[in-house]
Amino acid sequence: MSTTYGYTGKVLRIDLGSGEVWTEDTFKYKDFIGGEGIGYKILWDEVPAGTHPFDPENKITFGAGPLCGTGVPCSGRTTIISLLPTSPHHGAGSSHMGGYFSVEMKYAGYDSIVLEGKSPKPVWIRIEDDKVTIEDARWIWGKGIFDTMAMISSQMGKEAQVAAIGPAGENQLNMSVIRTGTSHSAGGHGGVMGSKNVKAIGIRGTGSVKVADPKAVMELNTLMDQIIGANNQMVAPSHPAPWAEYYSPSSRWTGKPGLFWGAANPPVETGECYPEDVHSIGKRTQKAVFDLGLGAEKYTVRMGGCAHCPIRCHSQLKVPQLEKYGMDPYVSNTCMGYASPRGVMFKGIKEFDGNGEDSSIVGTAIGATLADDLGMWCNYGQIGRDVKWFYEKGVFKRVLPAEEYASIPWHLLEKGDPRFLIDFYNRVAHKQGEIAHIADGAAWIAKRWGLGDDYWDAKENKLWTRGGYPVHHSNESAGQVGALISCFSNRDAQNHTHQNFIGSQLPINIQKDVAAELFGSPDALDAPSKYTRMNEYKARFVKWSLIRGRLHDSLTLCNWMWPMHFSPLKSRNYRGDLSLEAKYMTAVTGEAISPEQLDRNAERIVTLLRALNVRSMATTDLRHAHDAVNKWIVTPDKDKEGKVIPQFTPGTIQMEQADMDLGLGMVYKQFGWDEKTGAPTKSTLLELGLGNVAADLEASGLIPA
Amino acid sequence: MGSTKDAVQEKPAPKTQSRRDFLKVTGVGLATAFAAAALGCISVDTRDGRKVKVWRTASGAIIHDPNLCVGCRRCETACTVRNDGKGSAYISRIKVARNFNYGPNGVTAAYAVADGQHGNFRLVGETCRQCSHPACGEACPVGAISADKKTGARVVDTKRCVGCGACEDACPWGMATLDPETRKSTKCLLCDGDPSCVKTCPTGALAFYPWEEAEALLFGTDAVSGASA
Repeated sequence: MSTTYGYTGKVLRIDLGSGEVWTEDTFKYKDFIGGEGIGYKILWDEVPAGTHPFDPENKITFGAGPLCGTGVPCSGRTTIISLLPTSPHHGAGSSHMGGYFSVEMKYAGYDSIVLEGKSPKPVWIRIEDDKVTIEDARWIWGKGIFDTMAMISSQMGKEAQVAAIGPAGENQLNMSVIRTGTSHSAGGHGGVMGSKNVKAIGIRGTGSVKVADPKAVMELNTLMDQIIGANNQMVAPSHPAPWAEYYSPSSRWTGKPGLFWGAANPPVETGECYPEDVHSIGKRTQKAVFDLGLGAEKYTVRMGGCAHCPIRCHSQLKVPQLEKYGMDPYVSNTCMGYASPRGVMFKGIKEFDGNGEDSSIVGTAIGATLADDLGMWCNYGQIGRDVKWFYEKGVFKRVLPAEEYASIPWHLLEKGDPRFLIDFYNRVAHKQGEIAHIADGAAWIAKRWGLGDDYWDAKENKLWTRGGYPVHHSNESAGQVGALISCFSNRDAQNHTHQNFIGSQLPINIQKDVAAELFGSPDALDAPSKYTRMNEYKARFVKWSLIRGRLHDSLTLCNWMWPMHFSPLKSRNYRGDLSLEAKYMTAVTGEAISPEQLDRNAERIVTLLRALNVRSMATTDLRHAHDAVNKWIVTPDKDKEGKVIPQFTPGTIQMEQADMDLGLGMVYKQFGWDEKTGAPTKSTLLELGLGNVAADLEASGLIPA
Repeated sequence: MGSTKDAVQEKPAPKTQSRRDFLKVTGVGLATAFAAAALGCISVDTRDGRKVKVWRTASGAIIHDPNLCVGCRRCETACTVRNDGKGSAYISRIKVARNFNYGPNGVTAAYAVADGQHGNFRLVGETCRQCSHPACGEACPVGAISADKKTGARVVDTKRCVGCGACEDACPWGMATLDPETRKSTKCLLCDGDPSCVKTCPTGALAFYPWEEAEALLFGTDAVSGASA
């Protein structure tokens, strides 16, 4: 076989029904880049419309892209692609794991792994380079994820990387995760693994990912060192620093003199973290104090994260108090992984059992440990808001059998005692009782429990569309830009292209300058809470963000860091480099590609996902069927006296229906979709080389008139 | 867990001699010693008819600090992209991946509190010691491993390497690794005196020390070196 660069050249296919294992050539999918793009292509070609996510006919792809495994900064994530159980039309979507799984997968020789069919009994998949076997999993079925990973590693060797589901996935909860190491795949694909009777995939790879131009890759890495910032590509520190012209207290660049990894032995000072100093990049983000407050400093052993990423956004803590609750003291997580379980304790986590001022940290750590081991997903924090709504509005009382309701220790919730979390998560993950349906996801539970408009339209519930997913950097992030981005997915949008742009922590005038360079006018970006009406430059910003999101999930690069809009260096005029993806792609694969060509390939993936939605919703009218936002978003705020605060006055971030309608049309136009319905037109599909998609849709009468 | 000292005591006595011993034995040594320093490594006949190798001391060695390591494993690809034109953990001359999840001892029932990402978060990276009497070089049947003229690193001449794996078997630290794709040995070559892994480390967990200092660190407290932990 000839040498391939970047790509390993093989996609591993496993039919769990027949036990057949084979490989196919990656390059037949090259127009779809890798990772997410390949996953959607397989769903289009091979999974018929109307398939339930838990049907054997559904397929699940574990994808990596051509840059994964080469050491390109922040290239360690795994993109998992399948139908989404929480989606009311079972739309396609991706979930993502950090960690080290995809790198090991590529070193074993595979760009992607695709599972299909259903095993007649519980199994796990063992991959050691080109040796692939399907193994009996009865001895690990029912185990928590951490024990599962350890038990498989005891069989395969300590070097193995394992992706596994917990009881939540086994029980086919819609809101369940696949987990590898200390990273989980938010998105809800754990149940798809469970439906196929697959407990885990273990991989060991002794091979490599070849690089066409090693010298160029190393030079690009050196260039990246001047551009990369802190977590979420924030490029100004959280505090005044001798090197920094700007600072912002909300920055995740928290490292500074006097701030430590307090539980390291000896404690490690994060220090000044000069932007030119390569050897402190990994100390810039002291994420424990950002996520959990200053009290978390003393519990911090170190930071962690994913393969080949110098930015360490996971905080890894030793919380000795956990042992009192029968848990091991070490806990690692980041962002919502900590915040969501805490959200279930909506009355706060108060002093209990003598933990005093740190009881919130202890309670948060208990919740994170439970959710991670059981394999529960939070629907981007929705689970906490749902518990609050259902408890306070009497929904639980109405829908749970009286005996079940009485058996739930609500008094612990009332008291703020996190032992409520132990009871709650175990009930739900093990599908015990009616309450477990809270993990069906908002769209399904609204039907089952008869929830009306008040549920969907309550601002506090933060539900974006009737698709059942909540805000994730939506209207609070650059107004219509974030709001429109949130309309195009089948789960929380989790697009960080725009979020990292506006979150750079640089002054708004610098951001506006870069917005003008990119989108043609500084009006593409409004200052926070000073929103103006929709314009076409904002539509370009939306298009850019959606395209780069799909690009990163396909390459695979972390969209929580990429793209590199800004740099911390004044000497670079704070400019990053938005051609870096293409430059790396060229250096790694040896085939020259321009940023425009690469973005065009990613645009193909955006439109393919759009076509998948047309197919699964069986309508071209996505504007109304898919993209329509809930009323609270377009309802003006009221002041204390009950007087309406009109949209687009400073201080309010509420959107307006007519303006959103206009914005949707502008974005459709940017992508060459039908401006009325938002469905891809035949000519656009053909221009993107999606002729088979056009033909399939035309045969089903799903091409807009 | 064995300390470095234990491990060293278990190590078989070297079959070759240090430069000082060599001088005592032969009495002809000054010129030979200069030759060793210049050439890196020479093979000499002793008075009693044995063949011994004299190795120039390496200029330094890389040390890994588990307390600072954040486990990004950028060092591994920094090594292999520079030296092999590819990303790989298995053949990386610095070994972080293999102890990453469960520490040097592997999975135990107490994994949740033992070394590793799944335990107490302590990551034990392993680096080549550039041994004074390198077992890899002594074991090589074709003399493909010698001391680099500039850095003194024990380096593999891939043109001469026959891929037998003798160095891999001989290294007491498990550092020399046969590349399964090329069937050539890989071991730390100190990147011409400016190690790529050290340059890349985002927390300064890797440092390049003068050889004597590195030895002192490696053979001293187990708090410093991955290899000794």
